[in-house]
Amino acid sequence: MKRLLGVALGILTAIGGFVDIGDLVTNAVVGSRFGLSLAWVVGVGVVGICLFANMSGRVAAVSGRATFEVIRERLGPRAGLANLSASFFINLMTVTAEIGGVALALQLASSVHYLLWIPVAAAAVWLVIWRVKFKIMENVTGLLGLTLIVFAVALFLLKPDWMVLAGQAFSPSVPGEETVSAYWYYAIALFGAAMTPYEVFFFSSGAVEEGWSIKDLVQSRINVLVGFPLGGFLSIAIAACAAVVLLPAGIEVTSLSQVVLPVAEGAGKVGLAFVLVGLVAATFGAALETTLSSGYTLAQFFGWSWGKFRRPAQAARFHLAMIICLLVGIAVLATGVDPILVTEYSVVFSAIALPLTYLPILIVANDPQYMHEHVNGRVVNALAMVYLVIILCASLAAIPLMILTGAGS
Amino acid sequence: MTLNRKPPPPAAGRILDAQLHLMDRQVLDVDAVPVTTVDDLELTDVDPNAEIPPGSPAPVIISLLTGPALGTRIFGGRPPSRRLVRIPWTDVSDVSVVIRLGVSGEHLDAGWVQRWVRDKIIARIPGGDHDPG
Repeated sequence: MKRLLGVALGILTAIGGFVDIGDLVTNAVVGSRFGLSLAWVVGVGVVGICLFANMSGRVAAVSGRATFEVIRERLGPRAGLANLSASFFINLMTVTAEIGGVALALQLASSVHYLLWIPVAAAAVWLVIWRVKFKIMENVTGLLGLTLIVFAVALFLLKPDWMVLAGQAFSPSVPGEETVSAYWYYAIALFGAAMTPYEVFFFSSGAVEEGWSIKDLVQSRINVLVGFPLGGFLSIAIAACAAVVLLPAGIEVTSLSQVVLPVAEGAGKVGLAFVLVGLVAATFGAALETTLSSGYTLAQFFGWSWGKFRRPAQAARFHLAMIICLLVGIAVLATGVDPILVTEYSVVFSAIALPLTYLPILIVANDPQYMHEHVNGRVVNALAMVYLVIILCASLAAIPLMILTGAGS
Repeated sequence: MTLNRKPPPPAAGRILDAQLHLMDRQVLDVDAVPVTTVDDLELTDVDPNAEIPPGSPAPVIISLLTGPALGTRIFGGRPPSRRLVRIPWTDVSDVSVVIRLGVSGEHLDAGWVQRWVRDKIIARIPGGDHDPG
């Protein structure tokens, strides 16, 4: 039972990474436009994030150093600051979007306009960060977020033609009415959404918060191998629902209500109730994850005292930084900007900034001064090099494709 | 041509590479509370223009620097000596993947921002001084 509850960190990290507001919408958009022909990207992303999070979790467990301390230490202050600026900016965009996402999910549940929910959502996020124990936070949001499995249930109840879905997934091709560049643009967006740096910042800092040591290495691996594949499974289920219901009907996804439409059709009112709980929990979990990540990255770069295991007064700058982030998020949302649009851009920017975060972790995971005998094995290093190439390609191709396709439109 | 160079003097204890083992490492105080990151090092003065006579003593680390030293390391330049925030090397008790101090961070100059933010803002918000949960 302890082992079972011990995967909460992996589950919360993965939910925040795979089914946050941006991914919920991106997955449904992809499903409704490309069917399951991009499902392979989720697979590639899941393996990549497993590899990446496993390394950073191992570094955190063995050396007690979280990811951004390692980045600063390896890249030095200049490249470190460039990385911090990029990562922090993306984080802030995502925090903004997730608070908007919680508000949109609450709007869906209550019919009260989302702008009214924004201060409530932000205040709730702050209260949890301020007062709730890390363990309780990850268990509650992780478990409630799991209700999104209703997407998979709904898919079964919709009784799709499994052969067609499998055909789309396993022999992918660009659908007739879509361009090749739009296909690859969404491939990078999905890859970026799976391998967001904030997941790794959160996972490794969470390992420090929970006080992992060398004897928790197994725990770290179980967390990674349960959490992220589950996240990938949920995101494919969302895309599949959209592919079954929305694609044939020619519905283009532009809002959250269209994302849940297939669930309402397949699983009825009960399913709808589950999906609403899941949406609020998943976006709320993602808001916590990204807000904490903003604080973690800043604190670890500058060497401030940080962590939810300390009293706020003992990690004063860490808490102040997060309060400021939340206030900036509220201010940006108050301008009426579309939160969904914000995340769609933020996942692509994540893909661009990824190599800067990935490389230092790969180097330190091979450094015996940090890792003693727990350095990367040969298989992990070989895979890690393959992913380094993939990550670099995605990073370099992202901006040209973004311009070429008008951000996928 | 043979280089008539003396072997380096035998070093007492461990050899540390300043760039690799000191710079940008996390500094923890005696209670394992993070104090800062090593932003720069202050060494005993060596005149870069004068020739160093053989046999002269090697420069010694006086203190770890933080605060404005970070800005000048990124953007160049050199802050006036009085503006440097120093942690004396004599306070350092261990160098590994982190640098440990033998003193509490509470009274170090390097902790003044943390103390200011704590006393003026965070401790005044209800719950700021309580253990989480």
